[in-house]
Amino acid sequence: MEQNQKIRISDPTLRDGNHAVAHQLSAENIAAYCKAADAAGVAIVEVGHGNGLGASSLQLGEAKTPDHIALAIARKNLTQSKLGIHVIPGFATIERDLKPALALGVDVVRVASHCSEADICERHIGFSRSEGVEVWGCLMMSHMISPPMLLEQARKMESYGAEGVVFMDSSGHFIPEDVRIRVETLVNGLGIAVGFHGHNNLGLAIANSVAAADAGATLIDGCARGFGAGAGNAQLEVLVAVLDRLKYSTGIDLYKMLDASDLAEQTLMKEIPTIKSVSVVSGMAGVFSGFMKPVSRIAKEFNVDPRDIFFELGRRKIVAGQEDIILEVAKELAQRAQKGNS
Amino acid sequence: MTQDKLKVAIIGSGNIGTDLLIKVLRSPHLECGAFIGRNLSSSGMLKALSLGVPVSAEGINYIIDNPDCCDIVFDATSAKSHFEHAPILRKLNKRVIDMTPAKIGLMSVPSVNLTDCLNEFNVNMVTCGGQASIPVAYAIGQTQQDVDYIEVVSSIASRSAGPATRQNLDEYIKTTEDGLKEFSGARRTKAILNLNPAEPCVDMQTTIFAKVGTPDIPKLIERLSQLVESVQKYVPGYQVILGPIFDNGRIVVMVRVRGLGDYLPAYAGNLDIINCAAIAMAEEYARVTFSTEAKGL
Amino acid sequence: MKIECQERTRHDCLRVLDGRDNALDALQKSELVVIGGTGFVGTWIAEMVAALNDAYQFEIKLSLISRSTDQFVTRLPHLANRADISLIKSDVRQMGQFPSNADWVIHAAANPDVRTHASNPLDTASVIVDGTMSVMRTAERLSRLQKLLYLSSGLVSGAQPETANGIAENTQGAPTPDASFMYPNAKRFAETICSAARVQSRIPVLVARPFSFMGPYQSLDTPWAQTTFLSDALRGHQIRVKGDGQVVRSYLYGSDAAYWFLRILTAGQSGDVVNVGSPIGISLQDLAKEIAKNFEPSPDIMFNTAPRSVGRSAKLLPDTSHAMNEYGLSVFTPLEEAIKLTAQWHRLQAS
Repeated sequence: MEQNQKIRISDPTLRDGNHAVAHQLSAENIAAYCKAADAAGVAIVEVGHGNGLGASSLQLGEAKTPDHIALAIARKNLTQSKLGIHVIPGFATIERDLKPALALGVDVVRVASHCSEADICERHIGFSRSEGVEVWGCLMMSHMISPPMLLEQARKMESYGAEGVVFMDSSGHFIPEDVRIRVETLVNGLGIAVGFHGHNNLGLAIANSVAAADAGATLIDGCARGFGAGAGNAQLEVLVAVLDRLKYSTGIDLYKMLDASDLAEQTLMKEIPTIKSVSVVSGMAGVFSGFMKPVSRIAKEFNVDPRDIFFELGRRKIVAGQEDIILEVAKELAQRAQKGNS
Repeated sequence: MTQDKLKVAIIGSGNIGTDLLIKVLRSPHLECGAFIGRNLSSSGMLKALSLGVPVSAEGINYIIDNPDCCDIVFDATSAKSHFEHAPILRKLNKRVIDMTPAKIGLMSVPSVNLTDCLNEFNVNMVTCGGQASIPVAYAIGQTQQDVDYIEVVSSIASRSAGPATRQNLDEYIKTTEDGLKEFSGARRTKAILNLNPAEPCVDMQTTIFAKVGTPDIPKLIERLSQLVESVQKYVPGYQVILGPIFDNGRIVVMVRVRGLGDYLPAYAGNLDIINCAAIAMAEEYARVTFSTEAKGL
Repeated sequence: MKIECQERTRHDCLRVLDGRDNALDALQKSELVVIGGTGFVGTWIAEMVAALNDAYQFEIKLSLISRSTDQFVTRLPHLANRADISLIKSDVRQMGQFPSNADWVIHAAANPDVRTHASNPLDTASVIVDGTMSVMRTAERLSRLQKLLYLSSGLVSGAQPETANGIAENTQGAPTPDASFMYPNAKRFAETICSAARVQSRIPVLVARPFSFMGPYQSLDTPWAQTTFLSDALRGHQIRVKGDGQVVRSYLYGSDAAYWFLRILTAGQSGDVVNVGSPIGISLQDLAKEIAKNFEPSPDIMFNTAPRSVGRSAKLLPDTSHAMNEYGLSVFTPLEEAIKLTAQWHRLQAS
């Protein structure tokens, strides 16, 4: 490992964190945190609805602050840091959402899809590239496919013009070895940069991020106090300290990052992210954390253990949008229990 | 030409065109005068040949050279090609059902505006999400006061979405949103499309949300059940699986579409609903043509 | 197509032909067919044929076969409307109409767009493999055929070995049999089909392996280094270089490439395999700098660096000693000049 190898930090506190507050971050929240992150020297600050640009909807939750206002206010308060957005084709369109966002001064566009569906990103990546902004491809729920298949999808994104690929551990399922193999596979198979986005369901977000850096990832995501969906993300101020100990250079001022995290704790979140029981289970099972509510509700209805439901959903590789399967699984578990009792 | 069957031509020998062919052959009101593509050795062409259907690899030129082969043309090629074909077919006085994203003509949703389309020479089948949701949006528009916002979220099996779908998500979203607005009168609309990679493949599922002034669910239930019955006449696999209910300040309806599995797999209800709608449109042209003739008009 | 742009490409061809036209004498008064004739290579061959006919009275009859003939007519009427050029609209896999008196055939039909290779590898395979099969079957029926040149790819031998200065035609190695490498794998298989056609049906076919080209008529929408850098510069953006810019490539100018192909076609022996490209490497960093020189004000160059060594294909250069020794071919338009001409042409077109 080289001395003082550079790691770029991309901070989605104001995007992933929005999941934790049902997308209710206000313009004031955005302005204040952007100022603080900018002062701390964070490379990229990502802003928006939890599911990205154009995702404010009844299905996913309506944002308190519309995209155009959020981005404008963020842009005003970021001078050194770059302004980033998360874009999922199928939610965001080029004409309605991406063009206006770029006009507001977005610097970095991360076009994201489920890990096996990279080819829906072709147009959005191509457009962003032709507009001269920095563009990354982003593969979500990446634990659901094997490392070679992840590389295949990443290669598609590379061919579309992405300048890097970030893979996400959206359900907090990985252990460091999982991350190391994937980063290595991507680094060896791609000619572009590799990034990692961790979640903390198994308390491994920091360790996983370190494994990613050690294996050659050059972009790591982290959120202040871990403010993010489910059990939260890699806790950014901790990550900065750890990377510094390990002789990586992030360009971030530790004290100012701690200040930004204090600010985030006081003003952005209702509670500091912790690993609740259900998060442990969803992380182990590799199941999308958004199932928490319907699983709890249906488990009560059928008088089965919600944790059993999660493990069964994980076994069946259920993805977001398959809430109806929860019902099926609950029924089955209830029947099994009955048979066991008779 | 048999008296009671309208002749159709299908341009585009891919999966959509071939599935249309099988539905045409099954229809008592339609017959296939030409199955046209670019590659005689494609599986669609071979299927057509095996069914004894006249085939050609000459593209639109075949229709120009053999205008009697058809009265109606299904164009299942591409938007680019359709822009070329449309004026040619208009000159030849052919009725065109546009299966591509070109959307030059009137949007057609058979359970909703079948009669309006009868006078048109170019209609398009909107989108799969549009076909699934517009009957519901229409019912909402007809029965609810002050329809402010309609949102439609469709989830289709990843395997049912080929390169053409994947490269045209934006067009899909725009067209569906336009269609929803047109048929419901809603002030704002939003469409979302999810590709679900789960195996075994999931059927197409569409959720319709609506924000209205004062919701009247009983009225909606009644009107919707009429429309659903009408849709099921040409899409038997169309089912309301939830609602209409009023939940958390919005009207919610969920529909599921399972395909017929003619040529496309059954889970591809998204592709099937468009094809079934297109056939319903063509059969209506046939019905009107022959009843007019029968009346000696 | 602006007149000044047409004049420039004509001039490019005349410069290459000056003193070298007799090496192409076998083309005089003959029929040449280019399949996939409306792409970059086909268009430059059309330009070269037009120059040979207008300036040297070669009387070549050229037919271009392609799916995109309509766009060709709209974009390039100065070529499409020529009496000595005919357009045939057809898919390579199903060529109904084919000029039965063809003396020379160049099979250049394939989509070089890496995005299509990634999103639609099956269609990529079909066009290349089914297409080449179809061309060989058609060739069997051509009574006057003297030679058929197949345009393969410099990538068919896989990555360039660390030690070599350039990939020679007899390099051992192959691309990984993986969907991500469908294009070079399909091209490799298509070369094998050509060999089989020669052995089984006695088709006089030889193979050219193109490396990278540059010049007018290359769509700036494609995601290659030279086109994205130019596109960035033309739009007034900074030039964005993926990685640290140390990757080395080479670029042969369009008019040179057209000449090389025609020379190999007419002088080559059935069964020969020839690299077509420039042996002179340039790092992407230097390429970006050269392109930037052609714009006022000169755009900044941004490197999105991953501070790690690039794993594969740091260098991709052809060894062109065979083209030199056997056919007397070398780089006629020096790289700096090629870059200048390309940038200026695109600037003119866009203005």
